Amino acid sequence: MSATLTTCPYCGTGCMLYLLSDEQGRLVGVEPSAGHPVSRGQLCVKGWNAHAFVHHPDRLKTPLIRRQGALVPAGWDEALNLVHQRFRQIASAHGPDSLVFFSSAKVGNEENYLLMKLARAGYGTNNVDHCARLCHSSTVTGLVETLGSGAMTNTVACLDETDLVLVIGSNTTEQHPLIGSRILQAVQRGCRLIVADGRRIKLSRHADLHLRHRNGTDVALLNGIMQQILELGLEDRDFINARTENFSALQQSLAAFTPDRVAAITGLQADEIIAAARMLGSAQRAMLFYAMGITQHSHGVDNVRAVSNLALLTGNLGRPGTGVNPLRGQNNVQGACDMGALPDVLTGYQKVADPAMRERFASAWGRPLPERPGLMATHAYDAALADRVRAFLVLGENPLLSEANQAHVAKALARLEFLVVVDIFPTETTAVADVVLPAACYAEKDGTFTSTERRVQRFRRALAPPGEARADWEILSALLERCGISADYTGPSQIMEEIAAVTPSYRGISYPRLEESGLQWPCPDHDHPGTPILHQQNCTRGKGRFSPVDFRPSRELPDAAYPLLLNTGRTGMHWHTGTMTRRSHLLDREEHSAFIEIHPEDAARLSIRDRQQVSVESRRGGVRVMATLTDRVPPGQVFMPFHFVEGAANALTNNALDPESGIPEFKVCGVRITPC
Amino acid sequence: MLKRLDRSDLEKLLSALATGYRLLTPQRLADGTRLLRPHGEGALALQGEPVQRKPTEAFFPQHDPLLRIGEQGEVTTCDPPVRPVALFGLNAADLGCIAFIDRFFADPPADDHYLARRKDALLVGLTGFSGPGGDVLPPANGMCDLELLAFGQNWLGVPWTPRGEALLEGFPDGEQAEVEELLESARTRGNPAQDLLEKAAGLVASEVVPDDFWREVGDRCILCSGCNLACPTCTCFCVEDRQEQAVTLRSRVWDSCQFDAFMREASGHNPLGTEALRTRRRIHHKLAADVTRWGEFGCLLCGRCDRVCPTGIGIQAVAAEILARFGP
Repeated sequence: MSATLTTCPYCGTGCMLYLLSDEQGRLVGVEPSAGHPVSRGQLCVKGWNAHAFVHHPDRLKTPLIRRQGALVPAGWDEALNLVHQRFRQIASAHGPDSLVFFSSAKVGNEENYLLMKLARAGYGTNNVDHCARLCHSSTVTGLVETLGSGAMTNTVACLDETDLVLVIGSNTTEQHPLIGSRILQAVQRGCRLIVADGRRIKLSRHADLHLRHRNGTDVALLNGIMQQILELGLEDRDFINARTENFSALQQSLAAFTPDRVAAITGLQADEIIAAARMLGSAQRAMLFYAMGITQHSHGVDNVRAVSNLALLTGNLGRPGTGVNPLRGQNNVQGACDMGALPDVLTGYQKVADPAMRERFASAWGRPLPERPGLMATHAYDAALADRVRAFLVLGENPLLSEANQAHVAKALARLEFLVVVDIFPTETTAVADVVLPAACYAEKDGTFTSTERRVQRFRRALAPPGEARADWEILSALLERCGISADYTGPSQIMEEIAAVTPSYRGISYPRLEESGLQWPCPDHDHPGTPILHQQNCTRGKGRFSPVDFRPSRELPDAAYPLLLNTGRTGMHWHTGTMTRRSHLLDREEHSAFIEIHPEDAARLSIRDRQQVSVESRRGGVRVMATLTDRVPPGQVFMPFHFVEGAANALTNNALDPESGIPEFKVCGVRITPC
Repeated sequence: MLKRLDRSDLEKLLSALATGYRLLTPQRLADGTRLLRPHGEGALALQGEPVQRKPTEAFFPQHDPLLRIGEQGEVTTCDPPVRPVALFGLNAADLGCIAFIDRFFADPPADDHYLARRKDALLVGLTGFSGPGGDVLPPANGMCDLELLAFGQNWLGVPWTPRGEALLEGFPDGEQAEVEELLESARTRGNPAQDLLEKAAGLVASEVVPDDFWREVGDRCILCSGCNLACPTCTCFCVEDRQEQAVTLRSRVWDSCQFDAFMREASGHNPLGTEALRTRRRIHHKLAADVTRWGEFGCLLCGRCDRVCPTGIGIQAVAAEILARFGP
């Protein structure tokens, strides 16, 4: 029996756990780390089942190449040579920007770094992106503008010393359970809680105030709260004077957001908005938490700006127990962003458009780098349909189920000349690939993940990968070598040394310093203890900037033809497209099939019984799922998780994009439902 | 027969155990987690809170292959390892938990798979001044082969079975007076948690705890299932079948009564379909149903569910709330 300390592969909370294996080397269970500052001897249900998919017989064990229409086993050299040869051919025929590289928020920092190096130095394109485009691209855009850094400003432990928590657009107990439970513990000790969410999520049962505003009206709600804070004189004048800029513009922009007008837009009572303003304005220390309910809108960046404005207005920044706290959804989505798996920045958010930054990397890598920022992942599908993009390499993602408007994505992937997918299991996307490369999962390799609180921590190899599967860093190194770039790394530790050398915020990070519970960036030198709280004296950009925003409705609201508002998201049991959790026995048993939550009033009007199969249609597609009658959703709204291929929520969702961040509007579109 | 062991005697005893058994001893890992680990992998941690993972997993693992079903339907069982295990360092609560599930798995129809691991296993209790910070722990009272009572820099060895007696042979004799002194020290400490549990159990059994209370507690459950996974007396498992190249491997996997699917009927109806009902069941089972079935609580106060619960609704926390709100 051995016990390997590692980091949970699911959400961005960053719990550490021991993987336990038996004498034969098979994983038999999980035990939480007692001393870790976030997990503290506890885990959520996915963490307790983090071993359960690893030995599943479906694991990909050998490279596959499509021959005469079918994927057939091949050797590594043959598969890698084919990938390189085809990428070279396509790049030389159509230019390097005809290639697109999708990195992964599931793999390590070192692997994200190598993929963006491969795209930029190896094949000469900035067309590299990952699924942060679908989750927190709005945060990165919005908070960089207002604060100078797009990451969670504070730390999970700050919940132990805050007076008030506002949770807006985050089902925290299901999506970040060890943060959600810490919020519940704070409530138990007397901390006040405001939940702003149309759904009656678990946290709302403990809230002092539950604001069930209409999906897509967050800007109006937040502006309304801020207007009342000013009206009541509860703003933090000292903080505003000393630490912020552009306040008068904010003040003017808020004038129109009177309680009555905001009530009309949001569906709330004016009193509720005033009550929220009083609570937020009078708290000594308030933490603002948000997630996809804020970001996944065609006005996602504006939503983020509004949250940031609220924190600045009330002086809730730079101190323990405060902060703007976007909760990162995946184990390494923070790290994938930090590593520059984005089309416009290199590691540590160093802009590709800046010649000095490019030079730093060009001299480290010995290759000139492309200047023009690349394509966002969500724009790559249109580019493929227009033949501007001809080949994709997809690392550890399943876009056929995770992107908005599935039919559009399917058409775009079918149009490609060449699709390579690296994954641990067969997925809907590997099924249409030309080459599939089998990867080691988190338990079979070494590396680092960066959690939502910017904590860089180790994951460790507990067993060998199945069959011929290889670690992603080994696969990417092999492709780098084929591009003529030396990549004979001894392991991820050496890759981290290279990352630290070119990344100011990671400069002090090295494997020996990460042994137990990691380090929070920025960590600028080898003696630096890390930074739990950002923006303490000044914001990263200097002054915190108020960025006034106006209310823009969602792009497709319910109408006569599609009368119900579809909200989508995740459940506590499953993970994204189900690749891992649907192969974990207990998790799959708990939620075994696709469903849609519908309010009993709507169900009665449509003659739908509980657990009945229904047809759900939007302007983009239709699916059959089971109806779950519940007052978790308000009348007029329905909710579907996007985990299930047999009832894919993203067959319905709208790929209307935020003009700045390129995030799709996963949270609002119109649907109609009919009983089957 | 009572023996007195110093540190080198203890090492000798452990070496002897390691030759005949797969010996697991309490060790503290770098992050502070105290676990039973293969002896010799790390330094012994002979004092401290109970080992974090339930020791019953040595006989009833979280994921346990049971049998293979071949292409022609032929069945071969997966036999547990031949070399018996020795668990060293168990406190009285954990020994009580092992005795509790021994009775459950041995009750007809006996569970062969459990018994195969359990039958030749050796249990060594570690009590006396070996609690957190050197606190005194209650004595084991015979639920093991051999008990070591920590006392100053020494251990008093008490054999409870012939195997325990054989293992202690050759060590110097101890003084009964020292044991008495230690037992007195444990007695004067009392056991407030046991009193709490008994009073709360009385209230649970007499149905004075209203549904609203269970709803409130259920509202705080985030469905991690950790309480069940951490509990040494929880024995519920489900069956997982995995098919690889026409061979089906059937395993049993720790289950949790806090899952909706645990009791959900094929129709979708669930007689325990709310968190309130499932939470009530969790507490009621340990404090009332087990008393009816076995004549004792299903909670031996090991403290694991309270430690592992992210929202503070482990059994002792809930018992304290019950007593505070509905007690005399």
